[in-house]
Amino acid sequence: MTSPFRIRRVASIARKEVFHILRDPFTLAMALLLPAILVAIFGLAIEFNMRDVSVAVYDADRSPESRGLLRAFSSSGYFRLKGFAAASETLRELDGDRAKAALIIPPRFGHELGAGREGLTQVLVDGADNSTVGVILGYLRGVQAVAASELLGKPPQPAAIQFRTRFLFNPELNSRWFVVPGLIAVVVAILSILLTAMTVAREWETGSMELLLSTPVHPIEIILGKLAPYIVLDLAAVVFVYLIARAGFEIPFRGSHFVFLIGTLLFISTYLAQGLLISVVTRKQQLAMQFAIVSGLLPTLLLSGFIFPITSMPVFFQYFTSILPAKWFMMISRDVFLKGAGFSELAVPFLALIFLNLFLVSVATRRFKKDVEP
Amino acid sequence: MNLSKIINPTLTGFIRKEFAQVLRDPKMKIILFLIPVVQMMLFGVAISTEVKNIRIAAIYQPSDTAARHIHERALASGWFIPGKGQPGSEPLDWIRSRNADVVFVAPQEGLTAALQRGGAKVQLLIDATNVIQAQQVEGYLQGIASEVMAEETPVPRLPIQFDTRVLYNPAMITAVFMIPGVMSMIITVLTIILTSMSLAREKELGTFEMLISAPVTTGEVLLGKTLPYVVLAMIDVPLIMSVAVLAFQVPMKGAVLVLLLAAFVFVCTTVSMGILISTVSRTQQQAMMGSFLFLLPAVLLSGIMFPVENMPAGLKVFAYINPLKYFVSLLRNIMLKGGDFQVVALDLLVLTVMGALAVFFSVRRFRHRVS
Repeated sequence: MTSPFRIRRVASIARKEVFHILRDPFTLAMALLLPAILVAIFGLAIEFNMRDVSVAVYDADRSPESRGLLRAFSSSGYFRLKGFAAASETLRELDGDRAKAALIIPPRFGHELGAGREGLTQVLVDGADNSTVGVILGYLRGVQAVAASELLGKPPQPAAIQFRTRFLFNPELNSRWFVVPGLIAVVVAILSILLTAMTVAREWETGSMELLLSTPVHPIEIILGKLAPYIVLDLAAVVFVYLIARAGFEIPFRGSHFVFLIGTLLFISTYLAQGLLISVVTRKQQLAMQFAIVSGLLPTLLLSGFIFPITSMPVFFQYFTSILPAKWFMMISRDVFLKGAGFSELAVPFLALIFLNLFLVSVATRRFKKDVEP
Repeated sequence: MNLSKIINPTLTGFIRKEFAQVLRDPKMKIILFLIPVVQMMLFGVAISTEVKNIRIAAIYQPSDTAARHIHERALASGWFIPGKGQPGSEPLDWIRSRNADVVFVAPQEGLTAALQRGGAKVQLLIDATNVIQAQQVEGYLQGIASEVMAEETPVPRLPIQFDTRVLYNPAMITAVFMIPGVMSMIITVLTIILTSMSLAREKELGTFEMLISAPVTTGEVLLGKTLPYVVLAMIDVPLIMSVAVLAFQVPMKGAVLVLLLAAFVFVCTTVSMGILISTVSRTQQQAMMGSFLFLLPAVLLSGIMFPVENMPAGLKVFAYINPLKYFVSLLRNIMLKGGDFQVVALDLLVLTVMGALAVFFSVRRFRHRVS
């Protein structure tokens, strides 16, 4: 194994791997179908604005005033009202997940308002899902002001301080602009960590790795050859998501393609190294798979800031997540897409990604070399 | 315990072999028992949609007390932390360089002076690359500003008042809501992938022929292959459930037995799905990709992360044929609300029908493939 490194041998291993991929159209189809499904789901399903919050109503008053209040609720466009004959029934709707909130108007509501006193109404909100509670409470404040001005015939007083908010980089607060650039990281995580972990583990499991190693091919050449086709596959998937983002969802791309390409290549190679490391450690596909999901896919989905903001995590996690390459690539992808950031603004994410890349590549190759040398 | 009188002894041996094969590898024990607990701890603590630690920078004259009050109140609220704005550069650049998430710009003449003249306009620059965060930041600041205003010049209360109470999770802790979702996700991923790959592995290594030529019926092969995974998953369920209750103080208001029953029906469903996937794949790699084709939509369209009610009608259809959706709904309802009879009965019924269908089709597919 003293022969010098030859790119030709890498190429022939790569060619073998390409044949292997092509011979298995099922896996290839999946590799392309999965990103498509992800983009479709995330592009269409994710809507952070709530509409049609179902409210169970018990109106004990049945006065013009209480009907006016209900009108203010339904005309706001946020609430869908459903009437019930008793307060306990509205509670049962909350228990049974059929309503998100209950509105109970007491018998003397109209009378009190007419007498110039305060009209007090009870509102119960299902707090099980605390992410929706805040939104519902916000809507309630809006309805409160509208109802007050309508019932008493006074125009609402303008607030003393008016905010003129400029939402930078995403003026219409389009959820897709936020989600789809981050999705690229998730797609790469699935394709590179999972596929490489599996494909190299398979060679160990079936014993063909020993066969490969007994040939005069250098271990590094084997690895490069085995990984090269997956880099191409990954890039194809990234281009695919990129095209959908631009053409399908009309997401702006304000930065430089060069910066984006460098970031993507760094990220792909980091995750390929992680996949390789997993396969060397586990050597069994079933195990490799579980480790890949636990160390690669789930953190990319849940801890990288893709949906759940890192800044909201406990302090420990804000540091802990720095060991995730996806966190840094997520920043690079979003900032290049939406902010048009270049290398200087993204110096920290790039340096971190380079560091993680060198670290994982060197650990993976060292582990691999140690394993194959007798 | 003399099982051999009731069941074919080959079958018991076969089941024992499957258990031994799974547990032989110490790494597999880690995957089965340690990792789920670690995942519960990690995701339970880390996942939250509540926005905190927003970096705020503010531009106002030192003499402008109203603006200073708002800025100080924002920093004291716990939602905001100070952002960095280099004097001399544009506020836009502070946001672009990630030194601030929001910049509060008081009017030229000063907010205090403007208010004395009747009304003031404040400019907010918010980084909207994160949509969820951007909306909440504006809401927080509006709330803080009106609080400060109300203190300085008391405004009359609105004649209509809501007496608002938040039920089930009054402290609004994210973990309480997310943990049941994380639990169901862990169980799904574990069972589907392990089962689908375990059968595909036998095919890949050529030991599958040996299995079916043994003196057991096809049904028994299937039982031997699936039972260990059902048992292992049912060991995991109480394990992660205790993490949820003990470590995260998620309430357990309903009946534990009903929850375990739901978990059992669900595990049978996912294990059957795993078998179904393995019947259409020849290699473990195919089984893995097939599992993902099921897993990703199942997890995303289950209501764990994004509410089903907000999805467009086309995707809702998929949510309603997704067994995971019913399991998550059951877990949440039983744990947080005490298990409303109607919800539990209906969800459990749907889940059982789905489980029965999955078992039926997987047995049929499996028989078909073997013969």
